[in-house]
Amino acid sequence: MKFDVVVVGAGCSGSVAALNSAKKGYKTLLVERGPEPGSKNVSGAMIRESDISRFVDIDGLPFEKVVKSVKLVFSTKANSVELRIRPRDKLYTVSRLKFDKWLAQKAEQAGALLVTKTTVTGVEGNKVITERGGVEADYVILSEGANALLSMSLGMRRELKPEEAVLGLKEVYSMTRDEVNKRFGLQGDDGEAWRVISDNPIPFAGFVYTYKDSVSLGVGVPLSNVKGLKPYEVLDSFRSSLSELVKGSSLREYSAKVIPENGFPSFKACNQRVYVTGDAIGLVDPLTFNGIGPAIASGYLASENLGQCEGYERALLQEEEVSRIVRSRTLVKELLKEENFKFYVNLIVDLFEGWSSGDLSKLKYYKSNLWAMLRHLTLGLGVVG
Amino acid sequence: MRIEERLYTLRYKRDEQPHLMVKDQELCKRCNEEYGSPCIGVCPANVYSFVKDRLVVSYENCVECGACKIVCPFNNIIWKYPRYGLGIALRYG
Repeated sequence: MKFDVVVVGAGCSGSVAALNSAKKGYKTLLVERGPEPGSKNVSGAMIRESDISRFVDIDGLPFEKVVKSVKLVFSTKANSVELRIRPRDKLYTVSRLKFDKWLAQKAEQAGALLVTKTTVTGVEGNKVITERGGVEADYVILSEGANALLSMSLGMRRELKPEEAVLGLKEVYSMTRDEVNKRFGLQGDDGEAWRVISDNPIPFAGFVYTYKDSVSLGVGVPLSNVKGLKPYEVLDSFRSSLSELVKGSSLREYSAKVIPENGFPSFKACNQRVYVTGDAIGLVDPLTFNGIGPAIASGYLASENLGQCEGYERALLQEEEVSRIVRSRTLVKELLKEENFKFYVNLIVDLFEGWSSGDLSKLKYYKSNLWAMLRHLTLGLGVVG
Repeated sequence: MRIEERLYTLRYKRDEQPHLMVKDQELCKRCNEEYGSPCIGVCPANVYSFVKDRLVVSYENCVECGACKIVCPFNNIIWKYPRYGLGIALRYG
């Protein structure tokens, strides 16, 4: 059998690539290894409406809650600082199974053929090899996620190093809609999301999301910092620090995922007839935690630039979200180092604590690190750029 | 809650053919002495354990995150996806 385009992976990036490619009139095959789209995918699952609506008609978007308030917490063993922000963008929480299914259905409606329970095991020339046989394709779009076995086998990227990867662990607790709203002080479909940056017991980033009838929480632990402590022990410690939030409710799902912190442009996004998108080229913004937005943009751009390799790479760099990820790579590498991570979390907490107690003497310590801070600030300004 | 209890929340369909394997047991022994077996330390599903000097891989419990192959200092883990959509199937994700 012959297709114009074969897309590997029906995550959000792959489905949008297949949707757009089918819309453009290409005969498109979308291959998913899981039993249904989304069933192998994990994420915090907060999306920005504008990230999606630029590329997909969002009518019928299966969202969970509209995030009206984001709580940002900096926490050390000694104390913590909490900030509450009302987001300017329209943010939703989504469940990946529902969201990814919805996107894949859109691709099917546009004419793409979706095949599930099938793993692509190789790409050789214009042949895409699956465990159920091979198909021919003019173009292959690899939206295969962080464990990009095909992209690696094609030499388009290498394996991530431990210092370039974060392990995300997530738990979903079921709770009635009323109980979710009561515990978070919410009304109706309004939701809340938390971001927690903590150095205790080891440096990690935590999150809490409210869904319709459940609450999810989790941690991201840099793989290079896992020493002696299991990542799920960090999750346990985070959960117990949330005290009453999920008490009495039952665990509905436990999952884990590697979050890439390096990739494009040092990983190749395109090679003749093969295009790589999303997590497979590390398009997660570690500063804003946004992975779905850039994944969708890259899927769309790959399908827009079939046959124009350089055009795709250029379009990626011109895409605001992707370009910020690229510009922030050096800064993020610095901030993920344990000593720097600890330094800044403590700085923020000490600053607010000192200010509230009227004693700023603790801050003297930070003066000796002025040069490092200036260097990071310069890198940070490059990101804002 | 123990990890085994957490894994009960997941739907698994077991692939009879293991999708995770160790290439060379001798390297695992060396890794344990030199690095303390980072795969055991990092795995969120307790897939790896040492039983009498051998690294045992309980691939049925794997949540398919891929962290073990990244931390393995000897690139000693054959890491594939389970076939035909087998392995875990998430409800939330």
